Amino acid sequence: MRVSLITKFAVRTLRRKVRRTLLSVIGVGVGCAIAMFMVSFSRGGNEIRFRSIADSGFGHMRIAPAGWEENRENELRLQNMSADLEAVRSSKAVKVAAPHARTTALLAFGTRVTGAEMLGVDPPAEQRISRIARAVSEGRYLEEGDRGATVIGSTIAQRLDVELDDDLFITVAAKDGNVEYGMLRIVGIIDTGSREMDASICHVTLEDMESLTGLEGAGEISITLNDYRHIARMVPKFRESIPEGDAVITWREILPEQAGDLAGDRAFRNIIIGIVILVVILGITSARLTAVLERKREFAVLVALGMKSVQIVRLIFLEALVVGAIGAVTGLLLITPVVYHTATRGIDFSGVLGGDTALSGVLFEPTMYSDMGFWMIPFAFAVALASTVVASIYPVWFALKVNPTSALSLREA
Amino acid sequence: MENALVDVRNVTKDFYVGKIVVHALRGLDLAVHEGDFLSIVGPSGSGKTTLLNLMGALDVATGGDVRVFGRQLSTLSRRKRAELRLKMLGFVFQAYNLVPVLTARENVEFVLELQGVGSERRDRATSILEELSLGELVDRKPSEMSGGQQQRVAVARAVASRPRLVLADEPTANLDSKNAEMLLQMMRQLRDEQGMTFVFSTHDPLVVSYASRVVTLRDGTVVSDESKN
Repeated sequence: MRVSLITKFAVRTLRRKVRRTLLSVIGVGVGCAIAMFMVSFSRGGNEIRFRSIADSGFGHMRIAPAGWEENRENELRLQNMSADLEAVRSSKAVKVAAPHARTTALLAFGTRVTGAEMLGVDPPAEQRISRIARAVSEGRYLEEGDRGATVIGSTIAQRLDVELDDDLFITVAAKDGNVEYGMLRIVGIIDTGSREMDASICHVTLEDMESLTGLEGAGEISITLNDYRHIARMVPKFRESIPEGDAVITWREILPEQAGDLAGDRAFRNIIIGIVILVVILGITSARLTAVLERKREFAVLVALGMKSVQIVRLIFLEALVVGAIGAVTGLLLITPVVYHTATRGIDFSGVLGGDTALSGVLFEPTMYSDMGFWMIPFAFAVALASTVVASIYPVWFALKVNPTSALSLREA
Repeated sequence: MENALVDVRNVTKDFYVGKIVVHALRGLDLAVHEGDFLSIVGPSGSGKTTLLNLMGALDVATGGDVRVFGRQLSTLSRRKRAELRLKMLGFVFQAYNLVPVLTARENVEFVLELQGVGSERRDRATSILEELSLGELVDRKPSEMSGGQQQRVAVARAVASRPRLVLADEPTANLDSKNAEMLLQMMRQLRDEQGMTFVFSTHDPLVVSYASRVVTLRDGTVVSDESKN
């Protein structure tokens, strides 16, 4: 296949001013690299955020009593917990489904008292769904069939000055607004690394929760999928398969502040990427415009010879695409080692976070990793080619305005 | 005028320099016939290049009528005028104006590509250069050629599409007399063998000596029109 002369013309033109072409390529490459790193780090951060939310016991989605979103009352219970569990656990997309029941509790030991959110759990499922349940520092976690046992956070243990096998006096908000009492023996102490988080952890079995509150069943089923990207696809499927009276909601509805943060982060990231690309476009526009201005006579001659506007547009865009393609490769070469480093070793933010990585009940991982993958290649080319093409629009318009009469004159075109 | 390739009637062309109007052509009449080897002469500012621009469909007249191959240029769109230039006209410029990044053959080939000529364009370009005794220059870029060689390649480019009319603006201005003579002989050969018509704007007495017809302009009008034969 023979390369058209317009293509040869475009490529060779770029070699006329090697330094300018190189600077343009580096400009595109650096802009592309910055955009790629930001997207890569943001994608990695989002993945960690989703994982942190899911691993904190919230799951990717939840089955809750219809109307839970409006008042978020702990007293509400699922209409048919068994059928709900069966429906979601039969799906191959589900990694784990864990039932929960919540209530507020006052824990007392001797003269010391502290508040906590008591969580009734199915111990085996809880250990699979929640990183918190796996963070036992002393003793053990709850086991199936445990009665009268509890696992508490290390901050609570410090405040109450208790240790394993001590018995806590528990006061809970129960059915119909009543207050109920009970005794629970500490079988394990959890240390998540977050004092705030450890100040509210108090896990009991669902059976103990039922007997303490007088409310049967679970108030929610947290669901973690094998792949968080399937959330939108699975919601309607679960809505069809669970009995009426219960609703399927996603983590966005459960934690609207986290969803807001995510949207804010994305907007901020996109604004920064937009600014970077805009700066690149302005730089390339300047270089491309200079290249066109220097060749005004040449364009005048081409028009005089009968070159059509569309062919001039093609010529200039071809030049831009070559710069863009080389810029994309340059960007990939520049940023791949950085992305590889941050994807494999991560960046540890524990110092910045001051040792507490919990926020809104979510226990975040302190180390952030970039997302490195083949998506970077089309992304780099899309950003670089789009930037250079956009940057060529004004120079193209300028070239099309060149007066062909100047081709017949030695005066400036 | 009947059978004229170019028919210029009562043409005026005004330019604005700031608020001042410059009357470059003032009611000019001229007909170019098939086979003419026509020199347009006159002092600087007499309107030679302006007239060539109008005849080459590079510009439009302020008043009057310019017809090229019977087509009234003022009625043609920019695109149609580009098509007319591409298919019917050839241009030779004072400063050669070859595309610097293309070889001699590619410069000729480029015009053929613009015309939509397919895979045979390379052979055609080579053949045109060989016909004009420029075979040894095919792979040279303009920077590797002398001024005379570049101008001869420019002529090859101008005639590559076998146009009926070639317009040349001061084609010998940058050449020494030997190269100028070679160039004019080549053009006259093309006129004689292929029936092409040439119109020159020039100050060069050598070009005038080769011309079959000399039109003299002064202040935007024709002051004399002499045929030598």
